[in-house]
Amino acid sequence: MSETKQNEVFAAQEFEPLLPIEKKLIGWSFGLGIFLLVVLAIANQYLPANL
Amino acid sequence: MNRIAIMSNVSAAAPQAAELKSQLTEDWLAVVIGLLVFALALFSLGGTDLLGWAVTTSVYTDIGKALAPFAKAYANIGGLGALVATYVALLVVLSAGVAALGGNVRKFALAFTIVFAIAYGSWIVGSYAYIAAVTPAELQRFGISWSLKLTNEAGFIVALLAGIVIANFFPRFAEWLKEAIRPELYIKIAIVILGATVAVTAAGRLNLASSLLIRGVAAIIEAYLIYWAVVYFVARKWFGFSREWSAPLASGISICGVAAAIATGGAIRARPAVPVLVSSLVVIFAVVEVLILPFLAQAFLWHEPLVAGAWIGLAIKTDGAAVAGGGITESLILAKAASEGIRYQPGWIIATTTTVKIFIDIFIGIWAFVLGYIWTNHINRGPDKARAAEIWQRFPKFILGFLLVFAISLWLALGTTPEIAKALPSAAGEANIFRVIFFILTFFSIGVLSDFRKLWQQGFGKLAAVYVISLFGFVIWVGLLISWIFFSGIKPPLAS
Repeated sequence: MSETKQNEVFAAQEFEPLLPIEKKLIGWSFGLGIFLLVVLAIANQYLPANL
Repeated sequence: MNRIAIMSNVSAAAPQAAELKSQLTEDWLAVVIGLLVFALALFSLGGTDLLGWAVTTSVYTDIGKALAPFAKAYANIGGLGALVATYVALLVVLSAGVAALGGNVRKFALAFTIVFAIAYGSWIVGSYAYIAAVTPAELQRFGISWSLKLTNEAGFIVALLAGIVIANFFPRFAEWLKEAIRPELYIKIAIVILGATVAVTAAGRLNLASSLLIRGVAAIIEAYLIYWAVVYFVARKWFGFSREWSAPLASGISICGVAAAIATGGAIRARPAVPVLVSSLVVIFAVVEVLILPFLAQAFLWHEPLVAGAWIGLAIKTDGAAVAGGGITESLILAKAASEGIRYQPGWIIATTTTVKIFIDIFIGIWAFVLGYIWTNHINRGPDKARAAEIWQRFPKFILGFLLVFAISLWLALGTTPEIAKALPSAAGEANIFRVIFFILTFFSIGVLSDFRKLWQQGFGKLAAVYVISLFGFVIWVGLLISWIFFSGIKPPLAS
């Protein structure tokens, strides 16, 4: 059986521009992630591990 | 494009991940086998030792003294008898499981015999004193002047390398073994059993355990919201991948390797070949990471053991490799700390890695649901709507087994009599023998699936480029930063 090279498959892909919903998904995920990490990092100062 | 041809290639490269349907059943099988081992181990709490015959391996110079049964009550069967008993028990239980999955039991039994022999043989090799002895006292006890000081968990690396050699130099043999090459099943069973060890460790120091749980939330945010968004952007914008490829790739690199790539692929209705190829890539990079990161952690993070544990959990992207990588890291760091005169209690570093990993795993189903909702309602608009039931369908069921074992063990440790609490670590230790064996089988299996030459021929270059840039460009470093922010200064208790 002849092997289909995945590179050819990728090369043949049609370019799909980023849709507004994708930009929203990326932006909101990243922004929310940074915000929540900052909140947690601040909370972390007040919740030290007690050994 | 010939989809069948691609699938054929793919299934040859990664047969495990290709069986998307059986993944769900495999989850439940892992729960059943893991609970069985745990339940049998619990009999020892009442004085009936049902698993004491299981084989353990000590560091040795005389191989005749390497093997022994776990419990002294079974000393009469000897090391070799314990090894045979362990093999037979695993063969019977796993063969029944494979029959339940609809696999070829005869083929599995033959292949498993070889897999067990090579994998456990690797473990024995890794326990050789010149490889595993760590402390000066050990060197003196064995009468040797040097050692690689890798601890007996070097056996994991030996098993992995043995598998890689078979995959890349003996591909026909690797193909013959494939019925017993089930890394996902083995590691899921191991993780269910691990619940007992984690609970016993947690019960020892509840304050630290709750601190780990709080910090696990940071890991979830990092993996799902930050890593995923960045990797998806890189794949789409810089490399021009389609949505169908970018979403499973982002999940595979960011969240939890194979399970996340498959769940995401299903959620966005990608062709099966897509998550399978991504999964193969994830497994290969996990192998590379396991070979490198624990040693970097030992060299640079030994003075911050829990930062190292969390970092491994965030950086290595398959459950098996991450948790086993945590185990290796723990051994290396405990050895390094011991050589500096600090003796930490064992169990905390791997508990940190596992907690981080499990926190991340739990949300795979929810994330798949979120992506499914966006794809079906905004990108591929059609009659289908994402169903709430998909959360359950995609949920990695073995996590339930882990949580159940963890909850029962924690209750036994904290909510029962002092006598039971005192006996529990020994029972958990007995179950842990099987956890280690399933780890060894996982490492060997991952190695056998890593046919680098074939995967490269299939054009992994571009996918691998996204992975390399994402992993070494920010996943490792951001993971280190977050681990440092949330885990630095927290030290495991000292061994008494």
